[in-house]
Amino acid sequence: MNQQSKRMIVVLVSICLMFVSLIVYISYFQIFKAEKIKNNSYNKRLWINEESILRGSIIDRNGKILAYSEKQDNLYKRHYNYGSLYSHIIGYSYREYGKTGLELQYNNALLNINENAAINEIKNIVAPSSEGNTLKLTIDHGLQEKARALLKGKKGSIVAMNPKTGEVYAMVSMPDFDVTNLKENWKQIVEDTNSPLLNRATQGLYTPGSVFKVITTMAALETSNLNTKHECTGSTKIDGYVFKDYSGKAHGTLNLEDALVKSCNTYFTEKSLDIGKDKIGSMADKFMINSKIPFDLPTKSSTFPYKENLGKTDIAAASIGQGKVLVTPLNMAMIASGIASGGEIVKPILVKEIISPGGKVVKTNTTQTLSQGTDIFTANETKNMMVEVVKRGTGTGAKINNMRVAGKTGTAENPSGKSHAWFIGFAPADDPKIAVAVVLEEEGSTGGKSAAPIARDIMLYGINNFKD
Amino acid sequence: MLRKTTSAKVPRNLLFLFEILALLLLFVYQKDELDKFTFITGIGLILVIYISNFILLKVSTGDNYIFLIVTMLISIGIIMIYRIDPGLGLRQLIWISLSILIFFLTYFILKKIKGWENWIKLYAIGSYTLFLLTFILGSRTKGAINWIRIGRFGFQPAEIIKLLLIFLISAYYTNFEKFKEKKYSSYYLMLVVYSFIGLLFLQKDLGTALIFYLIFIALQYIYEEDRKLILYNIVLFSMGGILGYFMFNHVKIRFETWIDPWKYIDRQGYQITQSLFAIAEGGFFGSGLGLGYPDFIPEVHTDFIFSAICEEMGIFTGIGIIMLFLILVYRGFKIAMNQENQFFKIAALGISILFGIQSFIIFGGVLKMIPLTGITIPFVSYGGTSMLSSFIALGILQVASEELDMEEIKDESTE
Repeated sequence: MNQQSKRMIVVLVSICLMFVSLIVYISYFQIFKAEKIKNNSYNKRLWINEESILRGSIIDRNGKILAYSEKQDNLYKRHYNYGSLYSHIIGYSYREYGKTGLELQYNNALLNINENAAINEIKNIVAPSSEGNTLKLTIDHGLQEKARALLKGKKGSIVAMNPKTGEVYAMVSMPDFDVTNLKENWKQIVEDTNSPLLNRATQGLYTPGSVFKVITTMAALETSNLNTKHECTGSTKIDGYVFKDYSGKAHGTLNLEDALVKSCNTYFTEKSLDIGKDKIGSMADKFMINSKIPFDLPTKSSTFPYKENLGKTDIAAASIGQGKVLVTPLNMAMIASGIASGGEIVKPILVKEIISPGGKVVKTNTTQTLSQGTDIFTANETKNMMVEVVKRGTGTGAKINNMRVAGKTGTAENPSGKSHAWFIGFAPADDPKIAVAVVLEEEGSTGGKSAAPIARDIMLYGINNFKD
Repeated sequence: MLRKTTSAKVPRNLLFLFEILALLLLFVYQKDELDKFTFITGIGLILVIYISNFILLKVSTGDNYIFLIVTMLISIGIIMIYRIDPGLGLRQLIWISLSILIFFLTYFILKKIKGWENWIKLYAIGSYTLFLLTFILGSRTKGAINWIRIGRFGFQPAEIIKLLLIFLISAYYTNFEKFKEKKYSSYYLMLVVYSFIGLLFLQKDLGTALIFYLIFIALQYIYEEDRKLILYNIVLFSMGGILGYFMFNHVKIRFETWIDPWKYIDRQGYQITQSLFAIAEGGFFGSGLGLGYPDFIPEVHTDFIFSAICEEMGIFTGIGIIMLFLILVYRGFKIAMNQENQFFKIAALGISILFGIQSFIIFGGVLKMIPLTGITIPFVSYGGTSMLSSFIALGILQVASEELDMEEIKDESTE
């Protein structure tokens, strides 16, 4: 073969490579990028049905209307009845700003259209629809309002749910924003360094601090031959790093229950080495840390990277919820629910039913078990310890008269310098009706002092107002 | 010969089947306004394609697959164009029929007349004349002056200059031994090609300028003996590109919208983002013919036909089209390598590179893989001049696929 033919082959191969790169790129585009691009609000396909279909309403568990659409001069207009209250749950649907929250996730249901274009086409011929479905939420509007009022002026989140069914009663993330006048405030909302657009309940990753001790406690209960006695002197040195108790107070001789009640750091950091990182890690795994929580809204996964090469200090820090552990408030509410319901973790539900324009229930989201966190014995033992926390420990701020309440406080140190205040718990302890997680971001005070009273009010409201 | 005839029949029948199915879908889509019009266009398309394939098999002893590949491409293209706008579909069918006639005409003329390698000056003068005409008579569309209007019909001279350029370079390198005696002759060639590129730049026809350059540098790479010229060529073009970026606003805009079209979504990034929406919506199998919204993309029937095809027929069809071009280019190179006549060898190379480069630039452009430059997909996009020049190029390739210099036959068993 002469030189020119060789060069021809070089040119041919180059052109072939260009074509192959096109095929690779288009496949990559379709698999990894298409989904996000499709949901851009400039994609007119998202709005094509909007002009001819009356978007469905969104109502709370008692039928209270939270959002609805109405025809105005041949155009459908969306109304949100409660300004900021549902900014992270319902979100919004505007041509200029796109869709978020349930408006985005349940867009097809709200417009009563099918994913598949061909089926839609057939449906339009057989039975053209001009009205979308109604979404019935698990949210209790009264509790939602109460939760937001309790968080007013603070940063943080509250998640309250039914521990047995997974129905979310209230979910608040602060700061929030008013969805009814986005136009005036858009620039301010987007530029706000406190990120009001972020749904902290499902996507905020926080250092849990001592609320994570319930996981360590359960891991300890499932470790046979663990010496549960400990002499607390107020501080301990692990691998050269000193762990201190809150304000350096010595707790004296403790067993596991006392340690949880007093939230003793030195106890858990020292015992964590005997329990081992795999035991704590797999307990965390079973309580949905490190896995994606399936939910009606986008969630971030809590993390505890125990499979990585962790040093003794890292393990000790993790056992008290510091260091490399990060959790979402929703996940913590699920952990409280799991302990409340005998170790079974159920899928959180936000949309209870989809109801057709004719009033027929088209779809019901039923309770589903996600994971068996622990057995009923460990769960009950932990529950009893958590009851003691509220009775005589750090969580007395959550006490309710004549009722056994279970809970755990947390004061999480974090890079900002101001600690997060946490409380997780449920009530009544013997037949739990409501589980709650409260986090006050950069509050600078203890969980017992600031988060526990908020949780108490939420639980009290639930007990007084929910029949089942 | 006999074996070849039967083996070309199978794909021809498959093509026939594809057309029937696609047309049936079109009928379903237009169920409300089904009329004679659609019916006639459909029958017309099948007849034109079937008959021309049949005739070609009788007259040409060369490669029969390239025409088959091309008829597959025009079938996909015209069905999509008809779906977007039936009026345009009918006009496209007329252009296709005319272009196929021109294809046969080109084929016979090229075979009849000898001496194509000797008219290098004619090709240069012809090109400059067409450029001059464009500037004098040209009208501005989409920001580029590359149209001449004659009555109701628009005409794009650059489409014809493309072919003249290939002939010019082919004639030069065919007579390379003769030209080499003169000093700096390759520099003169470069000067001529660069003057073309410069003129296209002034017309703001960046896509075609890029095609000219790539054809030139590929042929130069294969045939030029003075290797440092290739280096000059690369350096010069990169410098020109950088200079163009800073000097001409339209170059800068193209580049910026490529980097981040979302930032300019309601302005210059509108078209490309609409294209991305369409491709993203289509998924792997498409929404189905008639069930997408290709008309959301401006200029969908010409530059953005690929996005419309991806939306309604899926990226599997998109990949299919890319692969058809891949085979077409491969057959073109095979033809060039087997051709003993030097002029037609180089011309076949030039045309294969043209098909490859032009389709790549626009596929990559609408996918946002490379900056977008508005050019047509050969054989697929709507456009009269584009279709004509593509079929003339195919005619040249068809001639080149035959054994031309009888006295030089060495090996009977090469095909």
